[in-house]
Amino acid sequence: MRSQLDACLDAVNQVLLGKEGQVRLALTCLLARGHLLIEDLPGMGKTTLSHALARVLGLSFQRIQFTSDLLPGDILGTSVFDRDSGQFVFHPGPIFAELILADEINRATPKSQSALLEAMEEGQVTIEGATRPLPDPFFVIATQNPANQGGTFALPESQLDRFLMRLSLGYPARAAEKALLMGRARRDMLPQLEPLLDHAALAAIQDEVERVRVSDALADYVLRLVEATRSQPQFAWGLSPRGSLALLGAARAWAYLAERDYVIPEDVQAVLPAVVGHRLRERSDPTELGGGTLVQWLLREVPPL
Amino acid sequence: MTVALQGIPRNTLVWLLVAQVLVIVPHLTHLPLWIVALWLGCVAWRLRIFRMQANYPPSWVKAVIILAAGSGVYLSRGGLVGLDAGVVLLIAAFILKLLEMRTRRDALVVIFLGFFTVVTSYLFEDGLVAGTYSLLPVLALLAAMIGLQQSRLFSRPWPALRLAGSLLLQALPLMVVLFLFFPRLAPLWSVPTSAPRQTVGLSEQMAPGDIVELSRSAELAFRASFTGQVPPRDRLYWRAATFERFDGRRWSQSVASRLPVAPQWSPAGEPVHYSVVMEPSRRPWLYTLDVPNVTGADAQLMPDFHVQRPTPVDAPLMYRATSWPEALRQPTATPDTLARALELPERGNPRSRAWALELRRDSVDSEALVAALLTHFNREPYGYTLRPPPVGDQIVDDFLFETRQGFCIHFAGAMTFVLRAAGIPARIVIGYQGGEFNPAGNYLTVRQLDAHAWVEYWVAGRGWVSVDPTFQVAPERIELGLVEALPQERELFDETSEALLRYRHIGWLNDLRLGWESLNYGWQRWVLGYQDEEQAGLFQRLFGSTDWRIPGLVLVGALAVGLAILALLLLKPWRREKDVQLALYQSFEQALARQGVRRQPGEGPQAFAARAARRLPEHADGILAFARCYEAARYADAPVSARELAASVKRLRRELPWRKGRSTLAE
Repeated sequence: MRSQLDACLDAVNQVLLGKEGQVRLALTCLLARGHLLIEDLPGMGKTTLSHALARVLGLSFQRIQFTSDLLPGDILGTSVFDRDSGQFVFHPGPIFAELILADEINRATPKSQSALLEAMEEGQVTIEGATRPLPDPFFVIATQNPANQGGTFALPESQLDRFLMRLSLGYPARAAEKALLMGRARRDMLPQLEPLLDHAALAAIQDEVERVRVSDALADYVLRLVEATRSQPQFAWGLSPRGSLALLGAARAWAYLAERDYVIPEDVQAVLPAVVGHRLRERSDPTELGGGTLVQWLLREVPPL
Repeated sequence: MTVALQGIPRNTLVWLLVAQVLVIVPHLTHLPLWIVALWLGCVAWRLRIFRMQANYPPSWVKAVIILAAGSGVYLSRGGLVGLDAGVVLLIAAFILKLLEMRTRRDALVVIFLGFFTVVTSYLFEDGLVAGTYSLLPVLALLAAMIGLQQSRLFSRPWPALRLAGSLLLQALPLMVVLFLFFPRLAPLWSVPTSAPRQTVGLSEQMAPGDIVELSRSAELAFRASFTGQVPPRDRLYWRAATFERFDGRRWSQSVASRLPVAPQWSPAGEPVHYSVVMEPSRRPWLYTLDVPNVTGADAQLMPDFHVQRPTPVDAPLMYRATSWPEALRQPTATPDTLARALELPERGNPRSRAWALELRRDSVDSEALVAALLTHFNREPYGYTLRPPPVGDQIVDDFLFETRQGFCIHFAGAMTFVLRAAGIPARIVIGYQGGEFNPAGNYLTVRQLDAHAWVEYWVAGRGWVSVDPTFQVAPERIELGLVEALPQERELFDETSEALLRYRHIGWLNDLRLGWESLNYGWQRWVLGYQDEEQAGLFQRLFGSTDWRIPGLVLVGALAVGLAILALLLLKPWRREKDVQLALYQSFEQALARQGVRRQPGEGPQAFAARAARRLPEHADGILAFARCYEAARYADAPVSARELAASVKRLRRELPWRKGRSTLAE
């Protein structure tokens, strides 16, 4: 099954050039049943990444473009009166897909944002009194512009916490960009991607990820990391237990992708920036989510043994 | 570079400087001034070193400073031996070490010196304030010690202080247990007490002027707590000693009254139970009400009914006593005793002698004569004053018939003289009268200004009877106390008594003072006074035995159990296998470190092995093999035994050259 995963990665990497690390993290996030937040400038390949992932994993894909006039109903769906049957019929919104790209989530009003985020958290939506389950697997990739751009509503910490990882794609390397320029249009390549996994296989993999072994020594390392964020003065606040669970879950998925059935400290270190970066703030600058230097400090100072 | 040789973090320096201030402050009262100058200089220099504006002093400068400090101590203290000089020397060392403090080890030396200096301050002052205060320097020293162990990235000093505070709080229960149960061992060597302080107090002989001096001091003499009701003021005559010898000028103790022969007496009436904590008096006397039975303190009842112990009281002393105020004292006295109580100089004071004979003639018996004498003091215009006019050679005559102004000792002296001249055995009793009742602590405070002298005379069958001529002249002295009795002579009192007097009428201030005094008394009684006897009492109550070995065993047992639990929690023997793994990994790291490949603090085992394998390609197999083995054992919970791991690291160590070769050095 791991060979299938490797094939998935290869396929996505052919569409999205030079972003192997981020693609791997995105897949890790999905295997760990988490949602992904991509923070980057427009045009960096966010949509391509999510679309490609949906294709190779055989997931149904929907894209919601968040704008300031987006209403919760536009996400969740609405009941429409059907003249033939004389009844209201529910028209499901785009949220009822397996992989959703919530584009530029911070441009919508907090009301619409929370409609999505609640659905992410609970795995079901309640519309007009009826509770409807969301599909399984259910995976949200949200993108957001850097918060300092105009006309945005920054996500509050409580909602950021719901994303397992935050990634930034970044500019491609020169060679990759050249290949991009010389090659075919990426969007044309997407329909040619074949589904490499089916739902059952994906669910099986996700179950196996949960069984990846975590030894006592490794749990201690995670605890040391978490304690450091709680006790050291440069952190405005420490990681929550949800944060430490997220860290361990992501590390499990990463170890699984590395074809191991146990987690080693390097796995934790590999996922650490993506998992905890958006959950930490520096005490000296509590308004900015500047987890970067803090994560570097954690990687450098906390003994992994 | 080992940890001990690394530099001193900023936090430690901050807390060390704070601690130094706190450690030295209580010593300021007995330190020469140049020590303060030396200290400020060293602190300034040290700060300049920290800001990289100055260098560490070269050896010759250090030698000069040390010599100068040594000779300074020698000059100001007259030697290098002795408590005072020793403490000054210790503090000088504590200060100077700042200048040569480069590494963590040096900082530790300074911290330990600081702890020792804190302890030495108890030799000078052991009151409640001093004891509580000493927690502050201990706290700062602990914070400095914690700062020493912290990452150098830490720039804020407060977390260290907070941790030190919580450590100190955690130590409190242990402190209480040790305080209660640790056996009070006799000191292995005797600590010389600090320079003899000028103590005021009763002395072994007295000219009339002496007790006047005493009456101006509000210094504490002793405190007494009673079980049950405190007796009324006019019953509170605290006996210290008696004066039986008179040389025409001075009254003094007789030799016989210092021989430890218990007098004969029989208890009568209701006993009074009390305990006394007395201040050092430099006399062997204990203050008691008549007739006492004192427990502890090696006290002995002397032939004149005063109580003393073999050695002078040099430190606060606590004792318990039971007194029978109505006891019959020596109803049949030996001729020796009576002869001593009748002794008068051959000549002198003829008018008094003549008057005594006159009284003898007019009175039916001794008691009538005493009554007549007291009536005389009461009726005639005698005055009670702290400023008696000077008298000539015939002091009794001059006082009785000329000046008629005097203090308690004048009246007691004159009355004793007249009684003796009339053939009635009599002597002066000195001690304290009254005291201030502290309602906050339910005890009595007796100060030096409560010093008093009165008279006792002997009647066949009734034994010794006490009378107080001062009561006839100035009853308010007995009923209200000296300060109230002499409102017009305030300027004679010293500052403390002056203040005492002025603020006594401000209710809340007086309450505050009494409360504070009561707190101090509690400290003295329950903390400083908790010595062998009290401890034995506690053991008796807790374990039913005064044998200190049983609580000792309990203490050791509790300590052992505590240590065992701590050891279990810290060492986690159920994770023993893991610790062996870690130790083996460390030896793996050491082997590679010798080749110049060191693991970064945050580097994981796999990443490190990969890097090491790149750096030492010829040993890559061994390195990666160990790393795989370790990873499997530690993270995959694979059945890899510690022995396999050990074999793997051993193989690698054998492969590696002992020191890193030239080729790796060149990298």
